[in-house]
Amino acid sequence: MVGKVFSNVASNYDLMNDFMSGGLHRLWKDRLVSKLSPFPGMKHLDVAGGTGDVAFRILESVNSIKRRALQDPLNDDLQEETRIYVCDINPNMLDVGKNRALEKGLGEDKSLVWVQGDAEALSFEDNSMDGYTIAFGIRNVTHIEKVLSEAYRVLKRGGRFLCLELSHVDIPVFKELYDFYSFSVIPRLGEIVAGDRESYQYLVESIRRFPPQEKFASMIADAGFQKVEYENLVGGVVAIHSGLKI
Amino acid sequence: MYRTVVNRILLTKNTGGGRRCLLRFPDLRTAVSSSRFSTTTEPQTFPNRPLNPADSSTSSSSTSFQTSSAAGDIPRQERKNPRAEYQGEQARVLQASLRHVLRLGWSEEAMIAGAKEVGISPSIVGSFPRKEAALVEVLLGLNKFFMDDCLQRLIDRIDSGEELQDLIPSQCIYKLVRFRLEMQAPYISKWPQALSIQAHPLNVSTSFKQRAMLVDEIWHAAGDEASDLDWYVKRTVLGGIYSTTEIYMLTDSSPEFRDTWLFLDNRVKDAFDLKKTIQEATYLAEAVGAGMGSSLQGFVGKVIQR
Repeated sequence: MVGKVFSNVASNYDLMNDFMSGGLHRLWKDRLVSKLSPFPGMKHLDVAGGTGDVAFRILESVNSIKRRALQDPLNDDLQEETRIYVCDINPNMLDVGKNRALEKGLGEDKSLVWVQGDAEALSFEDNSMDGYTIAFGIRNVTHIEKVLSEAYRVLKRGGRFLCLELSHVDIPVFKELYDFYSFSVIPRLGEIVAGDRESYQYLVESIRRFPPQEKFASMIADAGFQKVEYENLVGGVVAIHSGLKI
Repeated sequence: MYRTVVNRILLTKNTGGGRRCLLRFPDLRTAVSSSRFSTTTEPQTFPNRPLNPADSSTSSSSTSFQTSSAAGDIPRQERKNPRAEYQGEQARVLQASLRHVLRLGWSEEAMIAGAKEVGISPSIVGSFPRKEAALVEVLLGLNKFFMDDCLQRLIDRIDSGEELQDLIPSQCIYKLVRFRLEMQAPYISKWPQALSIQAHPLNVSTSFKQRAMLVDEIWHAAGDEASDLDWYVKRTVLGGIYSTTEIYMLTDSSPEFRDTWLFLDNRVKDAFDLKKTIQEATYLAEAVGAGMGSSLQGFVGKVIQR
């Protein structure tokens, strides 16, 4: 079901994101990347990041740091070593991402590596990643605990896990407005823009099914992460959870 | 009194694992960071920390996740031992970063180099509390760590130094300020950067507190018993002496900062002389006032009598 959803939405994914969030999703992703604080030479894994939004941002951030630290000869070599792996289970999403990379002129850049894979069974080695992000993807997996433990496995010591996800709103009046928006406006928008009401109905329901912030934080801690924190954006519509592997 | 009993308890209890001053690290940090759910509880070192309402404020849009430390304390503590605590690791990274500061300045690069040296992924640098991606916040962390460390060493010195009691206050102060400034001597080439970090609006309250504690420690060691306005005057004056000497040190190129110590000595003497001068001036004013008062009274009396 999930596979079909994303094959259907792939081509209009970015457009629908803009519509549904009023363009805010860009700010949320910016915040995610700034929390990550990428550095040259980093090995990063972005899971369920098919269309490459987060990966492009990280790459830009690393390149700008490099420009700043141009005096330091050490960094030039490091810059070559930066690798951002974009992993997605759905090949259509990856294709969209690769095309966008070409448009941005990053087609030849060997820092970006597009990999098809399952978040619950990653093909990467233990202790190989400095950072792991999953933006709006963990909602769609079957077994959240498996994804978390895979994340823990591939991260190095000192590596960080960051998850950006739609979450639960508790503020009284805002909650009702948000519910109305989710159940009435979004599927309709989906029907008009993408011609697919069901996928967006599924989307809204999956948000409600996902565990609330505190529960999810405790799941992250159970997977072995320390310093587990979360930050609510827009009153809880979106939350960024982070954890540290030591 | 700044040097409160609680502080003392924190200092003496933190002789266990991890660096003392870093375990005070979250103490002086206010509610800017969203907070911590940690799998390792330290009920003995932070008596009030986990339940501090400031941590769970929603002044920014972040919310905190508190551990229910009542139940499950014991199994958690057993789980904590085999795993290194992240605070300990952060402290190690900061300590290693200090060694790179001379070459790379008080910067993120220094911290990344420090992390690599310790064998931990530089991603950990991102986990230091930071607000709105402000680089300075991370730098503040490094600088603050260093300042706390120096304060700690000063306290150790005071506690261990018996000979301090034999000295007169002005000499005692001279010795302590000199000792403290010597700790900064290795970093003197990058110290202007450190001062600018301390002066940054985000950090002003923290550095003010650190300075106040420093000045308080020194006066306390010099045997200060005052509890009235004098307390504030003494500390302000010492703060002034310390700051001016620190800035003097920045441009001092004499071998082993001889000129700086001379400057410091003169300033300390001036301050003590000033104190005497003010006292004498007060007496003089009183005497004049008394004299004038009686003659004025006599004059007014005569006028009224007429």
